[in-house]
Amino acid sequence: MSTGPFPKVKVGSSLPSEASLKRKRGMFQKDLHHMMYGFGDDANPLPETVALVEDIVVKYVTDIVHKAQDDATKRGKLFTEDFLFLIRKDLPKLNRCTELLSMDEEIKQARKVIWVDEEKLVSVD
Amino acid sequence: MKKSKDPFEIAFEEQEESPPESPVGLDENEPQTSAGPSVNLGEEFAANPIVHTTDPSKSSAVPLSVGTSGPIAKPKEDDEEEEEENMEVELGKLPSRGDPAKTAKMQEILAHFTADQMSRYESFRRSGFQKSNMKRLLSSITGSAKISIPMTIVVSGIAKMFVGEIVETAKVVMSERRESGPIRPCHIREAYRRLKVDGKIPKRSVPRLFR
Repeated sequence: MSTGPFPKVKVGSSLPSEASLKRKRGMFQKDLHHMMYGFGDDANPLPETVALVEDIVVKYVTDIVHKAQDDATKRGKLFTEDFLFLIRKDLPKLNRCTELLSMDEEIKQARKVIWVDEEKLVSVD
Repeated sequence: MKKSKDPFEIAFEEQEESPPESPVGLDENEPQTSAGPSVNLGEEFAANPIVHTTDPSKSSAVPLSVGTSGPIAKPKEDDEEEEEENMEVELGKLPSRGDPAKTAKMQEILAHFTADQMSRYESFRRSGFQKSNMKRLLSSITGSAKISIPMTIVVSGIAKMFVGEIVETAKVVMSERRESGPIRPCHIREAYRRLKVDGKIPKRSVPRLFR
């Protein structure tokens, strides 16, 4: 993991699994800033630390996506369930993800209700 | 700071509606709908079960200068209370929605937070990966243009918890070395190495024949 200053555009980064990934440096920089503070770092994390963590996260995401794809090759399509299968052994993550997904569902349902209500209002007029 | 007016989970959604109590945030992704869902929704935004105990006493003495706009400093008690059904800090506990004992416990804990702790906690809850960026990253990795929203949500959640593991392990490393101040790359690297040993880092298992 390089810690030196990064070029603005990373082409063919040092991580082998993203040979064709062009991304600007600091794609997640702002988000990571706050995330790291929330998890215990200083209020102003060092930029090189943030950059390193970003690299690690991108590599991590790349790896789990590839792993999920490997498991899903028979199907040919990548589903959300493939990720859930990957983290099945990691209980905190699994619980968190199921929670997020069910919240997403609830929000969708709630929106439907509002939408229907609005329609009723319109028709009443 | 991405000032999503909602609990951080909402940050994943592009069309989020905020719980009524939330102050106005400046999340460019969210349409500012005033017709938010009922207050009940707020209760369902359970907290993030973090891997290790976020020790409030770990909050640094450095005053928070995240350069945020005014509203963020205002303690959003209503928000927190509704979110908290259980800011469970233990490993592997599934937040049980609307468990009054846990909610009460959490509120109790929150009431005793110092300003520093509160701001750190706020950052913890609200931070998240930009959905659009994550989507872009995922499509470039998979090579397919279409990434479903639930998938983005899941991967963002996993990635955030992973960041948590790294940062917390790095803090442990720092305390072992009796160093203080902002985390340095060497701590992160050591933390990464330890996580690898623990098997928390996915290995691209390339079959190694005849090694």
